[in-house]
Amino acid sequence: MSGTRTLQVLLTLGGMLAWAVQFTVVYGATSTLCARGWADATLFGLGVVPFTILTTTLAALAAAAILLVVCVRAERQSRDRPASATDRFLSHAGMLINGLSLVAILWNGVPAFILPACA
Amino acid sequence: MQSALDPAGGDAWDLYWLTIVMTVGATVIFIFVTALLLYAIFAPPESRAWLGTRRTIVYGGLAFPIVTLSLLLPYGLVVMRNTDVPQAGALQIEAVGEQYWWRVRYPAEGEQGEFSTANELVVPIGRPIAVTVTSFDVIHSFWIPNFGGKIDMIPGRINTFNFTADRPGIYRGVCAEFCGAQHARMAFDVMALEPAAFEAWRRAQAQPAREPATPFLERGRQLFRSGGCGSCHVVRGTDADGRVGPDLTHVGSRRTIGAGQFPNNIGTLAGWIANVQHIKPGARMPSYGSLTGEDLRALAGYLESLK
Amino acid sequence: MNVPELPKSFERPDAEFPNPVPRPEGELEALKRPWKAPRGLSFITAVNNTYVGLWYVGTALLFFVLAGILALIMRVQLASPESDFVSHDLYNQLFTMHGTVMMFLFAVPAVEAASVYLLPNMQAARDLPFPRLSAYAFWAYFVGGLVFFGTIFFGLAPNGGWFMYPPLTSTKYSPAENADWWLLGIGFIEISAIAGAIEIIVGVMKTRAVGMSLDKLPVYSWAMLVFAVMIVIGFPAIILGTLLLEMERAFDWPFFIAERGGDPLLWQHLFWFFGHPEVYIIFLPATGMVSMIVPTMAQTPLVGYRLVVLALIATGFLSFGLWVHHMFATGLPKMSLGFFSAASTAVAVPSGIQVFAWIATIASGRMKLTTPSLFIIGFLFVFTLGGLTGVMVAMAPFDWQAHDSYFVVAHLHYVLIGGMVFPLFAAIYYWVPVASKRALSERLGRWVFGLMFLGMNVTFLPMHITGLIGMPRRVYTYPVGMGWDELNLVSTIGAFMLAAGVALFVFDMARNFRLASEDNAGNVWNAGTLEWLPNGNYATRSIPAVVSREPLWDQPNLSKDVEDGRYYMPGTVTGGREALVTSPFDARPQYILQIPGPGWQPLLAAVFTAAFFLLLTVKFVFPAAICGVLALGCVIWWLWETDPGPIRPPADIGGGIVLPVYATGPMNHSWWAMIVLMVVMGMVFTCLIFSYLFLWLVNPGAWPPQGVRIPDWIWPALSAFLYCASVALVAVASRQLRGEDRRKPRSVPILIGVALLLVGGAAAVDLWAQWQTALSPSAHAYGAAVYAIMSLQIFLVLTTLVMGLYTIARWLAGKLDTVRRTTFDNTMLFWYYTAGQGLVALLVVHGFPRLTGGV
Repeated sequence: MSGTRTLQVLLTLGGMLAWAVQFTVVYGATSTLCARGWADATLFGLGVVPFTILTTTLAALAAAAILLVVCVRAERQSRDRPASATDRFLSHAGMLINGLSLVAILWNGVPAFILPACA
Repeated sequence: MQSALDPAGGDAWDLYWLTIVMTVGATVIFIFVTALLLYAIFAPPESRAWLGTRRTIVYGGLAFPIVTLSLLLPYGLVVMRNTDVPQAGALQIEAVGEQYWWRVRYPAEGEQGEFSTANELVVPIGRPIAVTVTSFDVIHSFWIPNFGGKIDMIPGRINTFNFTADRPGIYRGVCAEFCGAQHARMAFDVMALEPAAFEAWRRAQAQPAREPATPFLERGRQLFRSGGCGSCHVVRGTDADGRVGPDLTHVGSRRTIGAGQFPNNIGTLAGWIANVQHIKPGARMPSYGSLTGEDLRALAGYLESLK
Repeated sequence: MNVPELPKSFERPDAEFPNPVPRPEGELEALKRPWKAPRGLSFITAVNNTYVGLWYVGTALLFFVLAGILALIMRVQLASPESDFVSHDLYNQLFTMHGTVMMFLFAVPAVEAASVYLLPNMQAARDLPFPRLSAYAFWAYFVGGLVFFGTIFFGLAPNGGWFMYPPLTSTKYSPAENADWWLLGIGFIEISAIAGAIEIIVGVMKTRAVGMSLDKLPVYSWAMLVFAVMIVIGFPAIILGTLLLEMERAFDWPFFIAERGGDPLLWQHLFWFFGHPEVYIIFLPATGMVSMIVPTMAQTPLVGYRLVVLALIATGFLSFGLWVHHMFATGLPKMSLGFFSAASTAVAVPSGIQVFAWIATIASGRMKLTTPSLFIIGFLFVFTLGGLTGVMVAMAPFDWQAHDSYFVVAHLHYVLIGGMVFPLFAAIYYWVPVASKRALSERLGRWVFGLMFLGMNVTFLPMHITGLIGMPRRVYTYPVGMGWDELNLVSTIGAFMLAAGVALFVFDMARNFRLASEDNAGNVWNAGTLEWLPNGNYATRSIPAVVSREPLWDQPNLSKDVEDGRYYMPGTVTGGREALVTSPFDARPQYILQIPGPGWQPLLAAVFTAAFFLLLTVKFVFPAAICGVLALGCVIWWLWETDPGPIRPPADIGGGIVLPVYATGPMNHSWWAMIVLMVVMGMVFTCLIFSYLFLWLVNPGAWPPQGVRIPDWIWPALSAFLYCASVALVAVASRQLRGEDRRKPRSVPILIGVALLLVGGAAAVDLWAQWQTALSPSAHAYGAAVYAIMSLQIFLVLTTLVMGLYTIARWLAGKLDTVRRTTFDNTMLFWYYTAGQGLVALLVVHGFPRLTGGV
């Protein structure tokens, strides 16, 4: 598998990977902070648990959005240039996957607005 | 008697409405999808052509679920936030799951002394209740469908379950997590009483056991002592102080015996003592089948008198 | 976009094909000879995917019927309250076995089995890349599965539920061997599943028809690829979980015992991190089948191919964010539950995409109401309902009511029977004409469907209510007067209708299924994909070049041209079994893979592996050890015949393409397999590190516990140095083995030998360092976790030792040189992994407690 192909796969799956990282971080951080009694600690005027969730969610959203833009561009370019069917397929699939990842990442941040940190 | 569809408390109502909303929504969506499928199969080709494009997937499979679920998710989370919430001034109760029964303890509160009971939860209506649960042996799960969801009883962990009973009545709880041989026979009664009745019950429970009123019952107490029952059971006010099995100080006042299995009367009590291992094989109490009929009646009568 | 009418006679000029006709005399016979299956008793040593695949499917169906019978006994018991039909102990064994057998011995093996048969055919590959591995996986499953099932007849079957929650399953509450049967029996069948997954990943990526680039890959291949990757990520969690629980039971290492710092919830995390993806592991291959059948039945290409692929991949990811929704009632913080609620919601979207893609496809074509179609319609109906109740239980507060009640029983059977069994039956009715001389009966098929569909709904629809009005799961009986009697009776009646449908299906199979070799029933549905090409044991005569996703529809006359040998590789170039290895993205031919043929080795290795685990279960340690050594010996005997080297110069496969018959490095198929194996090992290790951190989290102020000394830093430093040094030596050996001149450098065995001493020393130093602090593995979960990490590392080092010695032996036998070096490459990759894991383990075990300072 050449370097270009590896990069393409990462671009295609990137949004989902961003979701996976976000998921691991928010769940791991919430569990650890709550188990070690940091429920009421604050950071910049925000509870440390919601703060972690919000920043992680924003970072993951940004990552997925950037990947989405990259895939959209690649797809446009492949229309103009005689790209291989595989390239076109990968960039198109990347658009869809990164788009859906945005939704999954967004939903994953919703609990921070509604639920208590550690109860 | 034991149903999530017959809510008897505020939280249970919230869960009930969530259930109704989702059931109705799911039914509508189900009918819609099924109708669409049948249309796709049986409608004339020219009239179903519009359905056979990528647009169908984008609207039906992508946009529609995203919109619907974007509404449902916050609703579910809000219900989660609003139910099972610890309240200030709640009545504290501790429940411990054991193979295959429930140890229930009411800690001291104000002038009211602490006491223990088993396989029954008596609560006043209108006052928030906080049940602190854990397990003595394996994982059990504490579930009173009429009052809300369930909470696992896990060794080494302490969980709480908060609810308020709105109307008086007799309800039933069960163990919902498979806990071994007699998981099926591990239930308990829940009595929601008017506050005054609850206070009376609580005062009575905190008293030591009654003295036997007749020679027959006195004989029963003798048998209880000589049979070694006290090495596993507590009867407060006597020398029976075993901690293995249920507290029997007021066993006669309970609605059922055997962890919600049989109505409580002298006959079932006698049957239970003589035949535990036949009725509930795997329970830790041995059968006392060698007692004579007369002795058995006396023993059961004594227990039944412990109101 | 319907299929164009095929012109009756359509001839393209010869020049457009890679190979001219007529083909030389005797070419077909030469191709057939090596692919023949052995006759007589040796027939069981066959490794062709066509035979192994069918045995595999057959065995899985056998377990389906057996586990179904267990369910019928349960339904009879529950038909009336306070029934005495079976005892409580037997009932508890029945429901444990029903769940375990359906999940581990039917569902996963069935979909894996189907793909052993279908994948190569669908991709026009001659066989899977590692046929002997498939045979090994099958036999291990066959022997292990039958013995495991047999325990029910002796009252020895596990009785702690298919989820095996400790402490109920720990020694204290389950002292008998029933639980060990589950842990060792199932743990080892998981290994067979992983072997299959590695095979499938390499098969999908590396052995395809020429030009079958990723955008033309059949949806089924996509589904199996995602399926296999999910197994590789998810199954290690349960393997680790069973290892930890078995170590607790056997050696008293308290991973799950709360009094000594363990936590029963750790098991639940490990179990469900596997257990939830498992549902999708079963479901995705089924959707892949549906996406193949629907276009054929509607005679039109799948609408929204890319969206369906997106749905498969997204499901693969999201399904790993759901596991805690089986633990909503364990008292975790609400915030944590919220994340899992969100992910459980999100996973509904890809399923929606697939459902609407099938509806759109049906609408764009003309659905013929054949038996496979009926099962597909039934699937859509039942699965949609199951999916909707799935969204309901994804809402944690609702789940607090529904969890562990009959509502969940209803939900999971709607999802699994709807989402897997119906598609599987559709697939059997659909694909039997590929494997059999006769198709199954359409008339009986309708009855089979009708009975199964009605029976399924009559059984499980009422259970939604039964659960909501309070009936908990896994009860062997229930009291009179709860209002559950009628609903349960209805469910029992439905179960027997379902069973009648299955019985009728068995009858249909017995009457009509006749194994075909080159005389199958043919393309009876006018399907468009390559498994419908004429084929024999050698698969297709020549390997076609494809230009679309439905080549049989878009490339007129393809069947005839393939059969005439006009396409690639119409014969054999080495005289043995061969497969065409193609590039993973564009499916360009890369090299000709020499595939091993039949042999006793995989069969014997599987039998001895099974014997090892089963004897260990009944604590016959010494015979078990002998079987273990014999299994290892058989594996080495089997491997010895592989890695043949370039036995002839590059060969012309047609169209001017000249390919080598041997390749090494990242192009090589076993390189890929080794990388996948490293991911498996990496996941086992990751789960172990997760367990370590989890136990830290539940032991505030006791990590390490009072009185435990952490070894001086000099020891881990020395151990790390030894790991690095051994890796450096292996890297030097690899450098020595470069070149085209087929040298056999003398330095290679010496370097490997020294490196072996170093890597062994590294593990020994670490073990000694812990030993001298008198750390006890059974006093506290801390010690148990440290020893678990070390044990896994020592296991890897021992494996490296065997591989290193094997590599030296290959050199001594003259079977290793600068060109023929696949054996060395595999050892090298594994070595790098072992050293890397060793370094991380040292960092965690020695660094983490210092970092947190016991907090």
